Amino acid sequence: MLFIKFLQTMFKALNSDGTPGQVAMGMAIGLAFGLTPLVSLHNLIVLAVAMLTTVSFPGVFLGWAIATPLGFMFDPIFDKVGMALLMQDALAPFFTWVVNTPVVALSRLNNSIVLGSLVVWLVVLLPGYFIFRILVTRYRTHIYAKIREWKIVQLLKTSKLYSVYQLFRP
Amino acid sequence: MRYIRWKALLPLGVCFALIFVLSYLFKNKVVEWGVESGGTAAVGARVDLASASLSFAEGNVTLRGLEVTNPNSPMRNMVEAEELIFDMEMLPLLERKVVIDTVAARGIRFNTPRRTSGAIPQQPGEAAQASQVIANFKSRIKVPPLELSTLTRSVNVGAISADSLATLRAARYAVAFADTARDKMLADLQAADPRPAIDSAAALATRLQTTNLRTLGIAGARQAVTDIRRTLRNLQQLDDRLKAFETETRGSAAGLQAKVDAIGAARETDLAYAKSLLKLPSFEIPSVGPQLFSDLIAEQLGDVLYWGERIQQYIPPGLQRQMQPGPKRLRAAGTDVLFPKETVYPTFLMRIAELSLAIAGDGAAAGDYRAQLVGVTSQPAVYGRPTTFSLARSGGTVGPREGRVTGMFDHVRAPVRDTIGAYFAGITLPTFPIGGLGGAVQLGQGITTLRMQRRGEQLSGEWTWRAPRVVWVRDSLRVVTADARTAFVKDMLWRAMQRIDSVEIVATFGGTIADPTLAVRTNVANAVGNALREQLGEEVKKAEAQVRARVNQLVDAEVGKARTKAEQVKTAATQRVMDERARLEAQRVALEARLRELTRIPGIG
Repeated sequence: MLFIKFLQTMFKALNSDGTPGQVAMGMAIGLAFGLTPLVSLHNLIVLAVAMLTTVSFPGVFLGWAIATPLGFMFDPIFDKVGMALLMQDALAPFFTWVVNTPVVALSRLNNSIVLGSLVVWLVVLLPGYFIFRILVTRYRTHIYAKIREWKIVQLLKTSKLYSVYQLFRP
Repeated sequence: MRYIRWKALLPLGVCFALIFVLSYLFKNKVVEWGVESGGTAAVGARVDLASASLSFAEGNVTLRGLEVTNPNSPMRNMVEAEELIFDMEMLPLLERKVVIDTVAARGIRFNTPRRTSGAIPQQPGEAAQASQVIANFKSRIKVPPLELSTLTRSVNVGAISADSLATLRAARYAVAFADTARDKMLADLQAADPRPAIDSAAALATRLQTTNLRTLGIAGARQAVTDIRRTLRNLQQLDDRLKAFETETRGSAAGLQAKVDAIGAARETDLAYAKSLLKLPSFEIPSVGPQLFSDLIAEQLGDVLYWGERIQQYIPPGLQRQMQPGPKRLRAAGTDVLFPKETVYPTFLMRIAELSLAIAGDGAAAGDYRAQLVGVTSQPAVYGRPTTFSLARSGGTVGPREGRVTGMFDHVRAPVRDTIGAYFAGITLPTFPIGGLGGAVQLGQGITTLRMQRRGEQLSGEWTWRAPRVVWVRDSLRVVTADARTAFVKDMLWRAMQRIDSVEIVATFGGTIADPTLAVRTNVANAVGNALREQLGEEVKKAEAQVRARVNQLVDAEVGKARTKAEQVKTAATQRVMDERARLEAQRVALEARLRELTRIPGIG
């Protein structure tokens, strides 16, 4: 069932009316939900950006779905990156401000996993966008034309989720 | 191309509102989870909470049905509270900080039974680390119990292996040190090389002795005086170098002597080791006390120190970064790094708590108590004041007649200073097993006092138990002793102890947590020591002599070699320096005499 949902999301994202750039940016933004711990203050901001800008919303879900297993897999690396940053003396004043400032402290940026994964996501955001844009463009040129006629694709287009997606169509 | 999706504003607002409502609805669950998971991590055993209620409007949190498992006894709660109401400041919550102004408590009880075990799987964390530290402390402080059976058997001195003896290591080290010192001395002497200067002075002295003043003439005599003075200056410099070399050589010789002296100390250590290896009992009174009682004392001290260790880990001194395990979640928890700063709130602060408590049951400490805790905080350097606490007995039909505990944890700056003092009178004291003699002494009602100080890793204190009427209980299931002699000695020791009505045990501890020391003074040790000396004195002396002979046999050759070598090196060094300085002095005297002769001539000085 989860796999079917994933396929549904993927097809909708890749075949939506959005430009390859919008889908790619949606996917790059969606990586945040998978790479960083979901229940984090920064993800509310990412959610707001994803909803209020004209990036592809299914693209966001697709990015999330792709990044979730990667998040679990790369936790040890995030931990190392986060600890390396938290141990930097030069950054100590900034983190002191973070943990002692109302509301900002709720971001938990002093947690090695939260900080490490957030920084890694920010680093991969733009490269991710460009890579996804190339992939989406190639997909639409070479593959989509062939599979749009598949029955399963037709079925997906008529599902309820598709109508919700229409709300956020770019 | 438009970039903003205005129509999503409403769904976003709904989304945020939903998150806010859900957070509000689950706030109590979050508090409950926080108390349980944080408490479990801090205590090292399960902390359960029936319910929690957070009221932002009233600024308080109510915890109901709190149960904190005793990590050393998982089927008992260390503390249980029916209801705790914390008056809190709400704004610090926005900084993820908990600041409690006052606490009201109802139904606090200690040492209550649990329905299920509160043990948690041992994880490589701070609690496990503290347990490991305390296990190490206990094992180091425990002394093997009194062993009598070895005396009735022939002592197997063959079990003493040469490789295990410190004396041999010390002797070999002294030999190696002597070789190194000798090589260095020769190299230094080679570098100083006094011979050319002395030979040159000797040549000059000889030349001037055989020459006639008349043949030299005025110019020649002046040249000779100049040469003599230059040579004397050179000799003076050389003499200074030789003196410095002599001082250095004396230092090396002293170092060498220290190594040789260490051999003697190592021999005593080896004798003690060999005696312990062969389990020879000692009837020296200071060593009898630990053999009899160190087991229980180590356990009881370890239990107290476990909490000191946990407090040390959770309440570090100073304003350095602090590291804690991150929150538990599906993903890895990571590490929370705290950045304490003066003039802000600490992450946890309870300004004052005045509590009425009850220790349940009819155990040693049962009864009603009044307690006060002031300045309990996780970041003392931020708070700027030490934590103090006091507890005094206020009533109760069972338990001690009188009791009070006071203490202070000063973790404002390193080194941390923890002090605790406790006094209980009319309390049921523990039953002490008697190490190696198959029985126990029930101390019954009495007085116990504890005074403990910790400054950084340094530990010091004294724990005293005084009991006026004790009961001696011999094990009913006694191990059948193979030989009659051992059985007889044990019986005799028991008779000696049973004559004692009133027992005093004073455990004095010191050192560090990693390397503690324990001394036990007790009138029981006096009785046992005297009885042992009376019955076993000759046997022990005989066995000790055998052990000493065996140790000497194993080490004497090597020790002799070390001493000879050290002596040779010292003598050679001293002799060599003395020889060179004597030669130098002889040339100087000769040259000075010649100089005096020449400078008497008018127009030459």
